[in-house]
Amino acid sequence: MNKKRDDESVNLGLLSRRTALQLAAAGASSLAANMSVVDVLGGEAMADQVRRSGKRVILLWLAGGASQLETWDPKPGRATGGPFAKIRTNLPGVEISELMPKMSTRLGETAIIRSLNTKIADHGTAYELMDTGRVAEPSLKFPHLGALIARELGWLDSQVPDYVTMYTSTEGRREGSAGFLGGRYNPMFLTDSMIPPDIRRLESISDVDHHERSELRRRISDSFTKRFDHPVFDGHNAAYDRVRGLMSSDHLFNIDLEPQSVRDLYGPTQFGQQCLIARRLAEAGVPFVKVARAWWDSHGQNFETHQELCADLDHCMSALLDDLKSRGMLEDTLVITLGEFGRTPKINGSLGRDHFASAWSCTLSGCGIRGGTVYGKTDDDGQTVVDGEMNAGDLFATIFAALGIDPAKEYMVGSRPVPIADFDSTPCREVLA
Amino acid sequence: MRVRVLLFAVTILVVVCSPVGRRSRGGDHVVGIDPPSALARKVDQLIDAQLIDERAAPLASESAFIRRVTLDLAGRIPTVGELTRFRESERLDKRAELVQSLIDSPDFDFHQRNELDLLLLRRIKRDEPWREYLYEAVRDGRTWDQMFREIMMPDVVKPDDLRPAAYLVSRVDSLDTMTNDSSILWFGVNVACAKCHDHPLVDDWKQSHYYGMASFFKRTFRTRKGTLGERFDGRVKYETTGGESRESQFMFLSGATIQEPELGLDDETLKAYQESIKKAEREDNAEAPPAPKFRPREQLVSLALHDDSGFFAKNIANRLWARMFGRGLVHPLDQIHTENPASHPELLELLADDLHRHGYDLKRLLHAIALTDAYARQMSDNSGRPGDPSLFASALPRALTPYQLALSFRIATSSPNDVRGLNLEDDWPKRRSEFERQTESIANRFEIPDEDFQVSVEEALWMSNNAQVQNDYLNAGSNRLVGYLRQIADDEQLIRSACRSILSREPETEEMESIAAYLNDHHERRDDAIGHIVWALLTSPEFRFNH
Repeated sequence: MNKKRDDESVNLGLLSRRTALQLAAAGASSLAANMSVVDVLGGEAMADQVRRSGKRVILLWLAGGASQLETWDPKPGRATGGPFAKIRTNLPGVEISELMPKMSTRLGETAIIRSLNTKIADHGTAYELMDTGRVAEPSLKFPHLGALIARELGWLDSQVPDYVTMYTSTEGRREGSAGFLGGRYNPMFLTDSMIPPDIRRLESISDVDHHERSELRRRISDSFTKRFDHPVFDGHNAAYDRVRGLMSSDHLFNIDLEPQSVRDLYGPTQFGQQCLIARRLAEAGVPFVKVARAWWDSHGQNFETHQELCADLDHCMSALLDDLKSRGMLEDTLVITLGEFGRTPKINGSLGRDHFASAWSCTLSGCGIRGGTVYGKTDDDGQTVVDGEMNAGDLFATIFAALGIDPAKEYMVGSRPVPIADFDSTPCREVLA
Repeated sequence: MRVRVLLFAVTILVVVCSPVGRRSRGGDHVVGIDPPSALARKVDQLIDAQLIDERAAPLASESAFIRRVTLDLAGRIPTVGELTRFRESERLDKRAELVQSLIDSPDFDFHQRNELDLLLLRRIKRDEPWREYLYEAVRDGRTWDQMFREIMMPDVVKPDDLRPAAYLVSRVDSLDTMTNDSSILWFGVNVACAKCHDHPLVDDWKQSHYYGMASFFKRTFRTRKGTLGERFDGRVKYETTGGESRESQFMFLSGATIQEPELGLDDETLKAYQESIKKAEREDNAEAPPAPKFRPREQLVSLALHDDSGFFAKNIANRLWARMFGRGLVHPLDQIHTENPASHPELLELLADDLHRHGYDLKRLLHAIALTDAYARQMSDNSGRPGDPSLFASALPRALTPYQLALSFRIATSSPNDVRGLNLEDDWPKRRSEFERQTESIANRFEIPDEDFQVSVEEALWMSNNAQVQNDYLNAGSNRLVGYLRQIADDEQLIRSACRSILSREPETEEMESIAAYLNDHHERRDDAIGHIVWALLTSPEFRFNH
């Protein structure tokens, strides 16, 4: 029941997509280069060079929403400015909040983006938006950034985890979701302890027995799949094949193995220790690590809250960047500092700042980023973006571009092509190296 | 910069599916003269008719069949007792007899409840009263259309029993979720893409369909007390891609609409009602006003059940088929539209029509499917090229649902002397009900499998290193499998017994050899080795899937 349409040019675009759909449906391997059928086991033949490039991401997640005015976009002297001053940085003409003194001397590899307008200012929805780079759609389970990066930059049979997320606060805790990419890309979630669940052998079984019974498992499984073969069985075996490798990566979570000097660099806070774990994981080839620091939701006592939290952020972010740099890892590691939104310029009656998504800031450092950049501008009171407005889709497109992932790449979800960065999004060339 | 493919609104309504016959509710239900076996034969004829170039796989072995059908109808693997009884039966119609006994078993009601829960609530929240409601509905033989009424209009059908309201209550905060889920789950139609513009790939779906469906739910609200209420007014407004502002009609997916009658309230009364609704939404003790006479959800139910295009019947027929075969006749399940025809259109008509004529008795349809040869085939072996799955020439593997998996772990790791099974122990219904309760928290650990399901590494790590697996599944108590196996001195007997308990079959020669070698290599620690063998069988893909 195909009806003729009156707009031929639109129709042509549609037809080419349909053709690709039919190809996909027919199982043809001649998919367009930037299309990837979501079929973990079938679709991996296009072994990506990108995957072997060793690029990775550390996301410092400021849960609850940090204030841009007390971090990257201060407005002292204005009614909205609050009590803190701004300080000069190692970049001529660029000033940030005095609460970030260490970062003020280390902006050489960092781009500050001051022009996010993401519109959504309630925690749950904004969280989903900044986890996926798009507004949630009820019938499409879009993967979170970590799962996308794990898929694009990870190894299918990786011996290390490829998506680790640490979140110990009870407020706003979210595990992360692999959405339509499937369970293979679920995060390894650390919440109660600094070590992932079930990664260590029970004392009641010896290492030899643990290993031998998994070999027996494999033999029994092979005897079955020799008779009846199907990709879902391979996926099952692939998950079990990763167990021993992941178990042997448990030392990555043990910061006691770091020299005292390095531990001192990161400091004693939990956030600092988790940043150090993140560095250890990144060094071992884990493509995506998220470290969440809570709870920035300062509806009351905004300034005390930020005094405390910014000190931790400033110190740990600086330590992480220094450490990555001294190890020669920073050019391959993208460090993102981001939350679900910023905070209102208007200071409320409880000396707090409320949720605010129309003019806020984030930073990108390292891999693929033009360091020493400040992008975008807000008005004198920080109420609106006056230059370089960027939405969540644009930010995600920029992140993908920095890592060498084509933001226009599409996944086939059932019969529907879904781009990795949202429709109509554009990478921000000004912050890209 | 890419430009989204946008289509301009074309206001042509499309009759989507061919009619399955104009009908009125009640009166023409045929019961009794048309057994499920007759339907099964017709199903096989229609499947076989398309197997021209494709050779159908042979029927699965007895062991494979009893495992498959017990998982599908009872929600668990068979016990060793049930397996042995079936294999030893000399009745010619033993497969049909087995299907009948499973259909009549208490297990069926629990399993059907679990399936409907996973379908309709999908763990959006855990809700025991809702699960109780589903169980009672299944047990009492309430039909799918009845349940549809009860779930869609709980306050109208049975105002004193609001348990079925969980479906609506859990979605009432998001009109989008309510609209999409309801279209997908009850009608097999995904109209989400038609929200912002007419569907870019499917001509059938216009913005007017999306907002038409949304309008049935727009007036539903939740009171502060947690009950459902309905407003007296309110239409969904939307903008077309051409920038035109529209007010939606009460329109079903078929294009059928309902005209709203005059409200018949003076402005003052209406205003007072609106105020008290606002209050009821905010305050714990405020009462909502009486319900309006015109209730959009009631209209939706009525349109859906009197719809010649048959979305309601086709959706559930397709979903039950997919449950039994691992793939829908229409695939994917939420894509019932003209550009995605069923692999066997006549068959889908037949099943939908049969469901309708038999008063939406889901049990009957499952019964009939379980009696077909198509259902009883074995998986495709590795001898030839993989076949086209839409021909249903061989069985497809299906991941066990969380409930099937947790219950099967429980059955498999019990001593065969302790858990004997259906019609083999005195109070099986009570036993089964206890298993249901005991395994629920473990079930909640596992993912609900969808079309792209992959076993996650967390699951593999959990099975490998969690103390619960060690202490429960590998427990050596005398009523557990490991304890039972430790009493068996003969290696071959032991291996046979382990394979029966866990894989519901006899071991292959190769398996016998590798497991015997394992026992031999660890002969000085035989008790430990038995635990390892049980673990290795439990973690095989053969156990994790139905096939």
